[in-house]
Amino acid sequence: MRAATVEVTTWVTKYVGGDGSGTRTFEEPVAPGETVRDVLRRYSKRFPELDAALWNPTRTALGEHIEVLVDDAVLGVTHDLDTPMKGGERITLLGQFMGG
Amino acid sequence: MSPTSTVERPSKKVAAMASLPGGYAGKLLRVNLSTGRIWTQPWRPEEMRECLGGVGLGAKILYNEVGPKVHWDHPDNRLVMATGPLAGLPVWGTGGLTVVTRGALTDGATSTQANGFFGATLKYSGYDAIVIQGQAKKLSYLYVNDDTVEIRDAGHFKGLDTWQTQQALEVEHGLSGHRMSVYSIGPAGENLVRFAAIQGDYGHVASKNGCGAVMGKKRLKAVCIVRGTKALTAHDPRGLIQAADDIAHDLKTDPSTSTLYNWGTLPGVTNLYKLGVLPIKNYTTNVSSVNMDDWAPAKLRHGFDHRGHQCSACGMHHCHIQVIPQGPRRGELVDEPEYEGWSGAGWTIGLTDKEAVSWLNTRIDRACVDVNEFGWVCGWVMECMEKGYLTETQVGFRLNWGDVEGAYRLLQMISLREGFGDVLADGVKRAAEKLGGEAARCAIYTEKGASPRGHDHRGRWDEMLDTCTSSSGTMESANPTFQTEIGLPGRINPFDGEQVARLTGGILGRRHFEDSLGGCSFTFRTRIELLARALSAATGWHWSLDEAMRFGRRTASILRAFNLRCGIGPEVEYPSERYGSQPVDGPARDHHVMKQWEHMLDVWYETVGYDRKTGKPKRQTLKKLGLDWLARDLWGK
Repeated sequence: MRAATVEVTTWVTKYVGGDGSGTRTFEEPVAPGETVRDVLRRYSKRFPELDAALWNPTRTALGEHIEVLVDDAVLGVTHDLDTPMKGGERITLLGQFMGG
Repeated sequence: MSPTSTVERPSKKVAAMASLPGGYAGKLLRVNLSTGRIWTQPWRPEEMRECLGGVGLGAKILYNEVGPKVHWDHPDNRLVMATGPLAGLPVWGTGGLTVVTRGALTDGATSTQANGFFGATLKYSGYDAIVIQGQAKKLSYLYVNDDTVEIRDAGHFKGLDTWQTQQALEVEHGLSGHRMSVYSIGPAGENLVRFAAIQGDYGHVASKNGCGAVMGKKRLKAVCIVRGTKALTAHDPRGLIQAADDIAHDLKTDPSTSTLYNWGTLPGVTNLYKLGVLPIKNYTTNVSSVNMDDWAPAKLRHGFDHRGHQCSACGMHHCHIQVIPQGPRRGELVDEPEYEGWSGAGWTIGLTDKEAVSWLNTRIDRACVDVNEFGWVCGWVMECMEKGYLTETQVGFRLNWGDVEGAYRLLQMISLREGFGDVLADGVKRAAEKLGGEAARCAIYTEKGASPRGHDHRGRWDEMLDTCTSSSGTMESANPTFQTEIGLPGRINPFDGEQVARLTGGILGRRHFEDSLGGCSFTFRTRIELLARALSAATGWHWSLDEAMRFGRRTASILRAFNLRCGIGPEVEYPSERYGSQPVDGPARDHHVMKQWEHMLDVWYETVGYDRKTGKPKRQTLKKLGLDWLARDLWGK
């Protein structure tokens, strides 16, 4: 089974067992044909608070406040939610920064 | 210390005062430093409803009273220090000050904010704003204590930095803590450094577009307000408390704003690095070998002894005073840097020693220098010396990346306009144009002359477009905040120029609304609907989200009309060569903003309803905003 790395950073780590700072990484399996959306949905379901923050209330699209990067590019640049994954990618969940 | 004048009261009771809306003191304090005249000007509820306060009020005063020939350094320029209807009321962070003037960097409109206690203290003294004109014959300060308002001699404060000035005034008046609010200039303001700021209440800075140079030109060292004794009430106190609680709850619990609640702007360093938006060494790279985990918010805060230094009525864990824990400056009290401090006094100049950054940042504040422009100036000199475009003979000493002592020496040279510091004191744009050649190609500025914020906007095109098209001397639309509330997309492709321009144009106005209320731009990073509810409860008027945005767009149009009258038009809405360059590495390395710039401008102009050729807000745009008078001014009958 191929896998992708899910990297959770900054305040978002609070939702996955961290203290709201630094980085936590997870290996997430990628089945053939699965998209960024599929992998993120399966991953976030394990963490109810993350699930609520990552998606909009109807769970049909991403919410506003967590940036999703695939291989260091913000979603929408090289990948979107429905782009198939090959395995080996790094998905980063980055808390939106307001201020400064 | 000899009083030269006391406030003139209006000769008649103004009938409108009886029906004063909640949240207002009802008077503007006017000061003419040339003649020593001090008087109060009542304003009518209709005017309050139209202008609110802050930048809304300041923009109108600027447009009405500062003509095209009144440049930033002319005595007739106005320095408006305004607050708003929420200041002094129990909504978080409502000690807000908005400074509006014709600024020294762009010689155009300026709107720049600070917090602390100024706004609340001013309101408790019975004034909604201070409007200063003229030029004092000698260095002076303005003393406000309820109805006693005096222009006093400040000769004995000459040369003091802003913290020393506040301390000296506290001693002089026997008041300390929150009993007196002081906003002042340091040596940079006295010496008319074009990016001098106005600093107050130990660590709060109205920093943009050289407003401190305007104050310096007026020979006004400080404005000192004793916490007043006047009544200030909300129209609907229970409704206001409910709205304030909802705002606080939003800030504490919303995933994105809770980071501001907990850490202020500290998370910016690691977050923006990840996006390629942290400016490193004057935009020469976006990659660092430094362990970024060491720059996480908790490390930045807990690496120092610290205590809360909250502004008026604020419950955020944002502003802090720190103690330098080790090294040559051990034990020194400093203000915890905002993100902008970590970038301008740190990463931009290649300085990553956290104690050194924190110390330098406070020194910059104390000199009353804008930390962003200092970063661009100092980083530019460092790069030019590394590449041989500037010599030790020109600068006076060798300045390498990350040299904190050298950076401080440069700060002093700039503040005192000594040697090469005199060239740099005019800002990086003018210095680069003076030097020319390869050096000029490395400088980061907008063609208007304003300083970009402490970000690498080559990875954040919305802010670059905003900075270049702005009429306020800094970002005008600012960061998208809950933009779905006004029907805009929650996320866009940050490198798709069309999407960027629609978003940037679409949120124009929100910031002007916020900056007219008398509060903090961080505690107001909530939904507009909640701010409108708080405003409605405070004043007794009904404010909706739509009306708030419409108000903001009206204010933006007035500022733009002012700038056009000053000769600042669409021809200067461009970044400098380096500012608009393609990053050589990092997450944004494959994207070059200038390839889409003209299209971005086209889309932005269409979105905001301005004329692309002349830069003017279109007649129909102005009519929709209820600005028929401005349409006549700009387009004739």
